[in-house]
Amino acid sequence: MSVLKVSSVALFSSPKRRLQFIARSMFYTALAGAVSLVILIPIYLTVVTGLKDRHEVVANPLGLPAEYIWENIAAAWEGGNFDRYFVNSIMVTIPTVTGVLVFSTLAAYAFALLSFPGKEKLFKVFLAGLTIPLGVLSIPLFYLMNSFKLLDTHWALILPEIGISMPFGVLLLRSFIQDLPSEILDAGRIDGCTDWGLLRHIVIPLSRPALFSLLIFNFTWSWNEFLLAVVLLQTESARTLPLGLNFFRGRYSSNYPLLMAGATITFIPVMIVYILFQRHFIKGIVAGSVSGT
Amino acid sequence: MPKPAQSPGSVIPGMRSIRLKRPHYRRDYYLGYLYLLPALVMFITFFIYPFIQLIWLSLHEWNGYDAKLFVGTLNYQNLFSDKIFWLAFQHNLSWTLAAVFFPISIGLFLAILLSRTPMRGKVFFRAIYFFPQVVSSISVAVAWSWIYNPNYGVINQALDLIRLDQLKRGWLGSSQFALPALFIIWSWIQYGFSMVIFIAALEGIDEVYFEAAKIDGANWLQQLRYVLLPFISRPLTTIVLTTTIASFQVFDLVFALTNGGPGRATIVIPLYMLDSAFTFHKIGYGAAIAVVLCLFIFLFSLLLLRVRGTFRE
Repeated sequence: MSVLKVSSVALFSSPKRRLQFIARSMFYTALAGAVSLVILIPIYLTVVTGLKDRHEVVANPLGLPAEYIWENIAAAWEGGNFDRYFVNSIMVTIPTVTGVLVFSTLAAYAFALLSFPGKEKLFKVFLAGLTIPLGVLSIPLFYLMNSFKLLDTHWALILPEIGISMPFGVLLLRSFIQDLPSEILDAGRIDGCTDWGLLRHIVIPLSRPALFSLLIFNFTWSWNEFLLAVVLLQTESARTLPLGLNFFRGRYSSNYPLLMAGATITFIPVMIVYILFQRHFIKGIVAGSVSGT
Repeated sequence: MPKPAQSPGSVIPGMRSIRLKRPHYRRDYYLGYLYLLPALVMFITFFIYPFIQLIWLSLHEWNGYDAKLFVGTLNYQNLFSDKIFWLAFQHNLSWTLAAVFFPISIGLFLAILLSRTPMRGKVFFRAIYFFPQVVSSISVAVAWSWIYNPNYGVINQALDLIRLDQLKRGWLGSSQFALPALFIIWSWIQYGFSMVIFIAALEGIDEVYFEAAKIDGANWLQQLRYVLLPFISRPLTTIVLTTTIASFQVFDLVFALTNGGPGRATIVIPLYMLDSAFTFHKIGYGAAIAVVLCLFIFLFSLLLLRVRGTFRE
């Protein structure tokens, strides 16, 4: 809650003041509502067009559908191979997110609470990773994956995505673990916890908010990743959802209802995760950017 | 008389510092490396090594199949006289300049609306405003290709409605308007990032400063300049930096919607990089473009952080 609200409430000296405050509050809320309508237009059009008949799209491009054609979703799902793309996206995203969480937790623990020679230097190496635009790695990664014989497999995306996510994950978790109250950690040590026990029973449960932010951030990023997928997945059967949607667009460029149904299928999973956990999501972004510089 | 050895942590001279942390046994060393190992292996194999390989490739001429031919800095020399590269660079640069202004201003405006006005439903609206950030860029591209559709798109329909039909056009097919049209889509995605960073900064400002300014007779513009700006200058540089880096990496929307066209009206550096490497099979040349992009972003980051450093003093 903003400070302004509190002080204004305290300052209500007369009914007139109070009325003024309520009027202002209503004005700003209405403004916010109007802005959100404008922002949501593309989303609205995607969902609504995806449920329209092909003729209605032309006759009534903006309004709600007169008749909801749920078959569009089914047609895109089966006819457009979105079922396969969906499975591919899941098969890439889940191992990626798991790998990122496990590896960066271990590394962040080492950087935050253990000491060993070369620690600062190694950490700087990880930090340097944040300054490199990731897209440029696509060319060498193509030849690396080619030499591993992994092109067109899920691993072609999973492995680089884990590697690329390490700097952000380690940085985010390290700063969180470092700020944990040292009393609790000391208490654990006095009670005879090994480092592994300390990590499992104290650090991980206490870091749940940061881990959660990282999980959601990484899930969304991996689910939506496009550039790497374009380069590393060439065959139809390996495509993830964004890639599949793009090819679908090339093939059915005039069949807007089907196209929009495909676009809806692509963003719905992320939308559900976002609606459930949006606070964590935003926290993760803020924490990452603030500690990044 | 020799001064007694003084360890950095001690308060009383001559006295050895008492370390409250557990003493470090050798065991810790190996444990530290052990915990670090998986992350380090992944990071080196799929980040550091490819990056070094990239630089190595940029010094070669290679079509992807035959033997690599070492050519030194030839690729870079060619790059500097390559008109298409400079055109792409120019597009990215104007994209950046627009990006530093539009999405960031929108982000700041929404952040002020959400955190410094007595409105209701703050968390709800913040969630809605931020939502475009999480939608897959290809879904976004599909949605906006419908909005820009020459016949049925919202924009041309709206122009019809207000009787400005002569302005109607195929927005993404026009060499004049394609790049701005792409930029608008990108801004729709991008403003949410600066918004949440600004919100975090704005909520830290004590209302007392604003009250004091008001009592001193400052109007809203002066309040913005003298109260708000000093508080947000640090997050602002962070946002400018992130936005610039993102502007030079623009790829998904361009690739999906115009693929650099019409003609070369929307070619950008990442697209030209991939085209050179995988369409024209000039891997070394593509790698050189990538290295120059990295260098540019690195130098820009350095410059911006230096500027921020001088401002703080």
